Amino acid sequence: MSDYAKPEEFGLADLLCCAASREVSDNEIVFAGTGLPMVAIMLAQKTHAPNLKLIFEAGTLDGRPPELPTSVGDARCEMGASRSSGLNDAFSIAQRGLVDLGYLGGAEVDQYGNVNTTCIGDYLNPELRLTGSGGNPDINSFARRTVFIMVHEKRRFVENVSYITSPGWRVKKWPGGEWVHRRELYGAAFRGGPSAVISTAGVFRFDEETGLMYLDTCHPGTTPESIKGLCQFDLDISRVKGETELPTREELRIIHEVLDPDEIFIPKVKPV
Amino acid sequence: MSIDKRITLQQAAEIVKNGSKLTFSGFTIWRRPFALVYELIRQQRKNLHLVEVNGGPQTEFLVGAGCVDIWESCWVGHELYGKYGANVSRKVGTKELIVEDYSHAEMMFRFAAAAQGAAYAVTQTSLGTDIHNPEYDMLGKAGLRDGKKIAKHKYIFTEDPFYDAGAQVLIPAVKVDVAVLCVQQVGEEGTVRVNGQYYSDPEAARTADITIAIAEEIVPEEYLRRNADQNTIPSFEVDYILECPFGAHPTGMFGRYDVDGSFLKDFYGRTRTQEGFDDFAKEWIHGHDHMSYLEKLGWPRMLNLKANTALNYSKREKKGGK
Repeated sequence: MSDYAKPEEFGLADLLCCAASREVSDNEIVFAGTGLPMVAIMLAQKTHAPNLKLIFEAGTLDGRPPELPTSVGDARCEMGASRSSGLNDAFSIAQRGLVDLGYLGGAEVDQYGNVNTTCIGDYLNPELRLTGSGGNPDINSFARRTVFIMVHEKRRFVENVSYITSPGWRVKKWPGGEWVHRRELYGAAFRGGPSAVISTAGVFRFDEETGLMYLDTCHPGTTPESIKGLCQFDLDISRVKGETELPTREELRIIHEVLDPDEIFIPKVKPV
Repeated sequence: MSIDKRITLQQAAEIVKNGSKLTFSGFTIWRRPFALVYELIRQQRKNLHLVEVNGGPQTEFLVGAGCVDIWESCWVGHELYGKYGANVSRKVGTKELIVEDYSHAEMMFRFAAAAQGAAYAVTQTSLGTDIHNPEYDMLGKAGLRDGKKIAKHKYIFTEDPFYDAGAQVLIPAVKVDVAVLCVQQVGEEGTVRVNGQYYSDPEAARTADITIAIAEEIVPEEYLRRNADQNTIPSFEVDYILECPFGAHPTGMFGRYDVDGSFLKDFYGRTRTQEGFDDFAKEWIHGHDHMSYLEKLGWPRMLNLKANTALNYSKREKKGGK
């Protein structure tokens, strides 16, 4: 019987972190980027998935960092790793098809799970240039499953993203730009695609045949209708299962006492 | 070439010409050759074409100072210490900078191909994304694809002719004039030993026509050759060497010092505008040399960043934002 925390004992970042952590199974090979994904994966490593293999994009293979790295290039990534190498290794491993799960983020997402981290507005005359792709499309192209962690705002859950940085379930076939199912385009490299979007409002999954996003669970304080109202596209709420599983007290203890005591990525909820 | 490859920081910067195609060691906020980046800004280098597996604060400083015309890469920011590259963003907006976007793996594979002497790499990454949108070939739009220093095409789409594995993308090998590395140790003859993740440094060194290694310390070549299996880059791939302690600051160096997060945060916060950048450069770059820069930082700050020799990172530097 899990000892779930009460709503006043955790914040949204805690909820997201625990939900993300539950997406991984033991023994899987996982690619994690900087920030909340890193905390989520290390939480899984310290709870239900002690044998997961963690890859950091900068070149750490099967890392077991004793404390939270501030980025994937960090010296902290390498303590206890099986091998420390470079990006050619990390991306070759991904392209070879050895990665089960990747954790990623984004500024905008559409109903097919296409994600934008490149610019807001017209690419040729952007309102705001963002960081660019980084490894987002690469991990998302090659992993069997990808989990996106995002802030939920109506301007971010859009009909069409400003720029498809990272491929969803229906993508554009270049040079013509026709929409096709990802399976058609990726051929032998097709292994899956986005399996979940964990936003600050709920958890979303995808119908692999139609490629469309649907609502899976709602975070406390939201309803399917309120979440539908936070999407510019017509969100499918017919398959919703209920409320997102809450963090346990043990998970909260690990996050705040072991993984991120300095509140680098996850702020503590102050008692009122 | 004489066996003595030592040069000064000023000479190293002079090897990079106006218009050079330039790349660096490191990864985002780790092991970037900042001492040289500052010197290039002091010498007012112009029209650089940066070709980077990934960008970082070094991109932001050079772009902010107006040294760069073209940035070909996949990412720029300061990780935890600044959400995005505000200087790149500003100069994209004013059209003072051409950005050519590839994905991270594509950039890596383009360097790997170049390091093998191959004309191109083939991959299935990023299929279906706007990275492959022909309308977004910015160097092509600018008429710069001469087939010499810049490939004739950004991509070629094809199908696997051997195993029918489906759609494939051909991506051109990069061409690089100068690679500047920032590493822990270099031998007198140029052998490089990188501690920790070597990122894309071996490919950068092999790809570039000229490679300069800036090291925390120059050590006897014979010392490195006692354990050749621990070395990263062979002597003959390095043309020039120099010793420059804390040469990567404000970025970090495995086993030596951590990232100076408060410095990067300050930079990110102050350089959203050109006036802000110029003010920051006046304070930290112009009128300084490397030693006076370190004096300005001060020993207490540097000791705080200094890595614990058993852990390879600092236990003193507070990482948290709160």
